[in-house]
Amino acid sequence: MKSKVLSLALLAIFVFSVVASGCIGGEKTTTQTGGAGYAEQIVIGVTDKVTDLDPANAYDFYTWEVLNNIMEGLVKYKPGTLEIEPALAESWEVNEDSTVWTFHLRKDLKFADGTPLKAQDVVRSIERVMTIQGDPSWLVTDFVEKVEAKDDYTVVFYLKQPTSYFLALLTTPPYFPVHPSYSPNEIQSDQTAGGAGPYKIAKWVRDEELVLEANPNYYGEPPKTKRIIIKFYRDASTMRLALQNGEIDIAWRTLRPTDIESLKSEGKYSVIEVPGGFIRYVCLNTKAEPTSNVKVRQALAAAIDRQEISNKVFKGTVEPLYSLIPNGMWSHIDAFKEKYGDGNIELAKKLLKEAGYDESNPLMIQLWYTPTHYGDTEADLAQVLKEQWERTGVIKVDIKSAEWGTYVDYARKGQMQVYLLGWYPDYLDPDDYTTPFLKSTANSWAGTGYTNPTVDELLTKAQSLTDQNERTKLYEQVQKILAEEVPYIPLIQGKLFVVTSPDVKGVTIGPDMIFKYSTIYKEKG
Amino acid sequence: MARGIGQYIVIRGLMIIPTILILYTIVFIFLRILPGNPVLAVVGTKNISPEQLQHLMEMAGLDKPLYVQYFDYLWKMLHGDFGVTLAFPMGKPVVEYLKLRFPATLELTIFGFTVSVLLGLLTGTIAATKKGTKIDTGMRLYSIIAYTLFIPWFGMMLQYVFGIHFHVLPTSGRIDPGIELQRITGLYVLDSILTGNWEAFTSAISHLILPATTLGIVLSGAYTRLVRNNMVDVLSQDFIRSYYARGVRDWKVTWYALKNAFIPVVTLMGLQFAILLGGAVLTETTFNWPGMGTFIVDRIDYRDYNAIQGAVVFFAFFVGLISLIVDIVYALLDPRVKY
Repeated sequence: MKSKVLSLALLAIFVFSVVASGCIGGEKTTTQTGGAGYAEQIVIGVTDKVTDLDPANAYDFYTWEVLNNIMEGLVKYKPGTLEIEPALAESWEVNEDSTVWTFHLRKDLKFADGTPLKAQDVVRSIERVMTIQGDPSWLVTDFVEKVEAKDDYTVVFYLKQPTSYFLALLTTPPYFPVHPSYSPNEIQSDQTAGGAGPYKIAKWVRDEELVLEANPNYYGEPPKTKRIIIKFYRDASTMRLALQNGEIDIAWRTLRPTDIESLKSEGKYSVIEVPGGFIRYVCLNTKAEPTSNVKVRQALAAAIDRQEISNKVFKGTVEPLYSLIPNGMWSHIDAFKEKYGDGNIELAKKLLKEAGYDESNPLMIQLWYTPTHYGDTEADLAQVLKEQWERTGVIKVDIKSAEWGTYVDYARKGQMQVYLLGWYPDYLDPDDYTTPFLKSTANSWAGTGYTNPTVDELLTKAQSLTDQNERTKLYEQVQKILAEEVPYIPLIQGKLFVVTSPDVKGVTIGPDMIFKYSTIYKEKG
Repeated sequence: MARGIGQYIVIRGLMIIPTILILYTIVFIFLRILPGNPVLAVVGTKNISPEQLQHLMEMAGLDKPLYVQYFDYLWKMLHGDFGVTLAFPMGKPVVEYLKLRFPATLELTIFGFTVSVLLGLLTGTIAATKKGTKIDTGMRLYSIIAYTLFIPWFGMMLQYVFGIHFHVLPTSGRIDPGIELQRITGLYVLDSILTGNWEAFTSAISHLILPATTLGIVLSGAYTRLVRNNMVDVLSQDFIRSYYARGVRDWKVTWYALKNAFIPVVTLMGLQFAILLGGAVLTETTFNWPGMGTFIVDRIDYRDYNAIQGAVVFFAFFVGLISLIVDIVYALLDPRVKY
């Protein structure tokens, strides 16, 4: 009798589980179908976070991506290219020395809620950035003296100095006109009114979900997919499972190299590879021993084998980099490869000998990394670097780590000798890969203590010239000096990977690394 | 008696205060001992001047002496103010996050708790009624294995089996994207019932199954052992033998024995609830559950002192409250307890 009761109880639990699974579960369908032959909704998973929905304070790549989809500037990059095309402005003129830029706005512009967008809104938004002085405000304040609305459709920027790459600056969020409901003098991190981009925010639950809906008042071509839902994940493993279970249609920033490799090999997903503009590098403290010795820095640069790093640590999801200016950007030269080769142990030994180190008197260095900020491959990167340097037989490496808040503190105070950092560009110009690192008035954040008046002068000159050929010559010179003096050792340049379910099409990500959601679609089926 | 229990409740209630105070102090000290600060964690490698950095420190109140920071926050807490976030988004009341995140953890905890108690009672009862048999050994083995399971590993196994292999259950989140649910209590299952939104109800339940089962199974082991041992004890007593002698049916006897064995289980339920909340942190991370656990972990990444302090104190208060309720229930159930 007792066993019958127990058997019945167990059977009931089993049946309940099966029924519950059958009724509730089933193949997930994240897609609803809508008009125009495309699915109405696409779900994108990310492990990044939206930090600040206020373009006056947002200063990280993923948030800029969201802002680029809900707002737009006077100009923008043509999808998939580095070519700048009209956006809110339909045309523009610049004076001879490129200090006065005049933009003519489209006549039919409206914010997402139907409020007309006029030149005064552009001026108000830019003055707001200048007043608030948020993190990215320097992209405006370092360049713009004042901005004026000549009439409802004409905006004039007066610059502090000739700035040849001003159009590139205009593609960044601090220059995006925002809806009048943004407070004029304070940061509004959770403001969802947006601007005049292809999408508007329909729902926003921080770190959980962001729902974007097509902006009915957008001046341009309407987005192919009516609703984009962004789901935020804490880690890449969970996001990968969600993709495999059909809970999301696209896994975006950032899957781990091993996940990408294994999803590729499954053959069920589209793995789209895009060159990325972000770079990783080693910082060398030029003010503290032993890295204050240029021979030591050169030796460390010579011993590094970037291809091995790419293969071993990143499973080929990055490419070797031999300059701070990334591959594919005009003026880039393989300065470090030309000077040192790659994994050149003999040259490293020779340089170390000149610096006074040998097997009996090895060079002792501390290599620092931060465990989570750049993903979970960081410890492996440090380990591979240690192995490469120790192959010389003359270098002994002690690996140290510190959590991000502490790490940044140490770097700023110049307390680390040799350490790993990464860089995402603010705007796509060689200036953004050189000035913040090498100009003595701009590089205090890096803690390398590097100063060189010649480099300062070259960079200042390059900033003011409008002729790209002239600028190229100057940046090439700067890169050669960088390879000679080695305050930084470029390591790798990232690639971006978008993994989608096979029916998702239209993914276009340009060199600006911004994913514009308006081109993606999923055919009804 | 009524006066006695009144006093008992007040005294037990007051004991929550020193517990919270000690915990707040420990969290406060630990956060400050660790190097680095929230402003730098947010600023990162951005090129800002020392003056701007100082300005941000002042805005965050981190320029004040430590004892001032300590008492300022304590004073605010006494007024129900948990301060404002120091990291993104800066300056947002922490209490808004607690309101948003806590119901998610509570919902997961309630379901996990239910699974663990039901499983524990079932397996413990089976073991006791089959004492000395292979089934008893099997159940005891289950309790040990369940208790030692590592939540992220076990959760991931369930995700693979039910999510990836069979495609029958979602592996992450609280509800399918795009489903609109009117928020009343923040407990999705309850809100969907209250609003009659059955699409949301099935979605919320399906999202709860894997995390609640993970949490429930891991914590059921303790119940299995306790219920089994108490039941074995009760089943060997004279009154049970007299039931059998009078020909009372087996399941009825088991039921009477279970009722008698239940009082120590109530105590364990109180303790387990606190452990459950701790387990929820791991479960939330594994299942991307947007609750207090993931909130605290996120905020630790940012070194957001106020948010961490606020969340921990709130957690402690809640656990204290549950313990108080359990103690009262226990006192009411067991007449031997003196007030």
